[in-house]
Amino acid sequence: MSAAATRNRLPLPALIGVVIGAAIMVAPLLWTLLLSLKSNSELMRDSAAALSPPYTLGNYRDILAGSDVPLWLLNSLIVSLGTTAAVLLLCSLAGYGFARLDFPCRRSLFIFVLLGLAIPEQAVILPRHQLFASMGWHNSYGGLILPGLAAPFGVFFMTQYFRAIPKDLDEAAMLDGASRFRIFWKVLLPLSLPAQATLGVFTFLGSWNDYWWPLISATTSDKYTLTVGLASSQMNYAQTSGLGFLMAQAVFASIPILIVYIIFQKQIVGAMAGAATR
Amino acid sequence: MTRHDRFGGFAFVLPFVGFYSFLLILPFFMGLWISLHRADLFGARKWVGLDNYVRLFGDPVFYQAMGTTFTLALLIVPALTVITLLLALALNRATRSAAIFRGLFFSSSVLSVTIVTLIWRFVLTPDAGLIAKVFTAVGLEPIPFLSHPDWTIPAIAITTIWWGLGLPMMLFLAGLQQIPQDMYEAAALDRASRWTTFFRITLPSLRRTTILVVMLQTAAQLQIFGQAQLLTSGGPSGSSRPIVLYIYEIAFGRWELGYAVAAAEVLFLLVLVLTLAQYWLSTRKEDAIR
Amino acid sequence: MASLSLIDVHKRYGSTAVLDGVSLEMEKKEFIAFLGPSGSGKSTLLRIIAGLETADSGEVWLDGRRIDGLTPGDRGVALVFQQYALYPHMTVRENMAFGLRNAKVPASEITTRIEQAARTLEIDQLLDRKPGQLSGGQRQRVAIGRAIVKAPKLFLLDEPLSNLDAALRNRTRVELAQLRQRVDAAVIMVTHDQAEAMTLADRIVVMSDRSIQQVGTPMEIYDRPANRFVAGFVGSPAMTMLPVTLDPSGNADAIVRLGNGTLIATQIKREELTGETSFDLGLRPESVTVAAVGAGTLDAEAVIVERLGDRTLVYARLDDGSEITAVDRGDSKLHMGDRLGLLIDGRSAHLFGSDGSGYHAEQTI
Repeated sequence: MSAAATRNRLPLPALIGVVIGAAIMVAPLLWTLLLSLKSNSELMRDSAAALSPPYTLGNYRDILAGSDVPLWLLNSLIVSLGTTAAVLLLCSLAGYGFARLDFPCRRSLFIFVLLGLAIPEQAVILPRHQLFASMGWHNSYGGLILPGLAAPFGVFFMTQYFRAIPKDLDEAAMLDGASRFRIFWKVLLPLSLPAQATLGVFTFLGSWNDYWWPLISATTSDKYTLTVGLASSQMNYAQTSGLGFLMAQAVFASIPILIVYIIFQKQIVGAMAGAATR
Repeated sequence: MTRHDRFGGFAFVLPFVGFYSFLLILPFFMGLWISLHRADLFGARKWVGLDNYVRLFGDPVFYQAMGTTFTLALLIVPALTVITLLLALALNRATRSAAIFRGLFFSSSVLSVTIVTLIWRFVLTPDAGLIAKVFTAVGLEPIPFLSHPDWTIPAIAITTIWWGLGLPMMLFLAGLQQIPQDMYEAAALDRASRWTTFFRITLPSLRRTTILVVMLQTAAQLQIFGQAQLLTSGGPSGSSRPIVLYIYEIAFGRWELGYAVAAAEVLFLLVLVLTLAQYWLSTRKEDAIR
Repeated sequence: MASLSLIDVHKRYGSTAVLDGVSLEMEKKEFIAFLGPSGSGKSTLLRIIAGLETADSGEVWLDGRRIDGLTPGDRGVALVFQQYALYPHMTVRENMAFGLRNAKVPASEITTRIEQAARTLEIDQLLDRKPGQLSGGQRQRVAIGRAIVKAPKLFLLDEPLSNLDAALRNRTRVELAQLRQRVDAAVIMVTHDQAEAMTLADRIVVMSDRSIQQVGTPMEIYDRPANRFVAGFVGSPAMTMLPVTLDPSGNADAIVRLGNGTLIATQIKREELTGETSFDLGLRPESVTVAAVGAGTLDAEAVIVERLGDRTLVYARLDDGSEITAVDRGDSKLHMGDRLGLLIDGRSAHLFGSDGSGYHAEQTI
């Protein structure tokens, strides 16, 4: 790739490769969409029927009318939004504290938090399950939200962001007679909105797509999140008997996150890359 | 900072540190403790020392699960690395169509594992799947992706690759953006060919990114869980059961918590070594490698 | 009554002392410049007065109130930051109102004060813009406006002109001079630029090496530098220093002898020179003029000839190798390498003892 190549058209072999790759990306999605638009009985005879009309929205009607899916969607929203709001609050406060305030043991506490980056979920999920069981927290929104709050990366991210904001602004606000909290609330927090957006989207996505923890914490279907709910549907349905209905669930569950993706594409990509290059 | 708020800073970091200690650090140490006990999910505990670990290393199913995990990682990581590097090279241009393709290749990453497996189950399944239909249409026998021991691991690998393209591609794109343009201009002045430029400039410049991608992906694939659980349930006869699924089954199928946690600690050590290796590799002097 | 008093202020970071017993008294409505090279402690002193740093020991008083224990917001001082430090997410109006709101000033009065300040600074058209939409000069006016509306007892300006280009700098200098006429407060400006300090300040505090070297009016600093550092730091080009010995021939006024034996008669009282015989002779460029070869006090060779239009600066080398700066007419015919005569006016010369302290003629010319 020369400098000019980044502006030029793609060479033909590469273009063919990309198009084939794109087809492989799209085909399963399209197949799923088409299956979801067919009646279950028609698909039972032959799923290839999905490739030709007539199409129907019947499966989606069934989802809205008589299934738990809307409830799971609501649960997912509550858990993901709750986690996101709490993570933003906790990480912003802590990030500001670590970046700007001086207090005993600040450095060691920060290192203590960074150590958490090296602990994968597998190392804590079973004991945490025990802990929550002894507290009676399973099958509750709190039980689903809380584990997400231990987000050392968020603190690291916010600390770095606050450190990059000129200290002059804090000092100007101190001379303007603002209290510590007012400086945080009125000056630094508004200035950290881009970081809030990135961390927020990142947290929301992670929480929305989490599977392991809700799988073991939410065991009654009224507290299922979409991921766990869909997993249970997947396990429960005999291969093809409810194929159209099942695929409609997949599409239905994808729509909110795809909308979020389209709106926040920039932040998501930035967050992913940022999270990985820490 | 004035002396008035010497301790005021605690108030800002304390809420997080509290949640963090309770939800991550405490369970981490609880885990070390539990792994030294014969413990079930319901609270019964008996000190057994290192027995769980000894048992683990004598358990053929553990070795099978480890083998499956490494096989999956060996299938997924190189393929994912090469494919996403090629994609990044092809899509690292400022055209509108390149942006659309980038968005498309990333889009699968935002879906949850449940949706991805649901989609791929009905692409792979031999009776109603998309691939089966295509094979039948051209007169071939459909492949039993989800039921034959030879095909379950590739099926999980394909699904995972499809799902995970986005992040490494973006990392490679970010790496490409950081290569100074004047290096290419200098190479062009030196009449370097396209291939020479690629192998002598682009690839060496992506060294750090490549290490990062390989290590992140390896760490992720060692912890592969949802795809295997949902697509094949680890079967047939445990042939596609990775280590995390093994841990899950011991804990929630056989209720042997202490044993499951011991297995989790082994996995933790593995991931930790990998993280340290990445840190060590990427902070080493560039010249030492060249 | 003094407006600001500093009493024996000490400050150290770890084992490095940055301020070593600084004391200062400021008059009411006085404009003082802290002048010194970077690392001289002048900024630290400003930040201690503002309350952004805490002194290890010493007292700070403002208008009869001890302020060193107060928070920055309670001290009655306003600081204009070098980089302005305007809140980027607030409009100009909000920037100016922020401090007043924190001080619980009634909304109607906030409006009045902002509008009045905006009119004076000619930024009333900009009140609803954000700092990002302003030019450098406009930002500085807003920063000054934000300080003015607080009606502080003391204005602190941190290198106020350093971020402006040359043209804007001259204009802003005039505006700062006007500003101090308008506000009923004392002003302290930190600067490393002597021209700024000389033109704006009533008195200059020259700082170096952790402490105050001299406090005086610009002319006192220039004409009677307290020590060798001040003499060398203030004035451009710098004062020439030549080693001399005290000649026994003088009466009331000292006569000194250069290395080559040339005698120079000063108007420095001999009795002030306590016991020593070796000194440095300090000569401002304007005390050394160019003459024909052999017609001056001594001869030299031109090393660099700098034509400034109205006058010409000649950097010359004496036969013993020491360097000396002289002034010639604007149409000087001298070139590099030319021999020339130098006429030294001993009446405006300075002497510096081995401890660095300066001795000056009774009356300056």
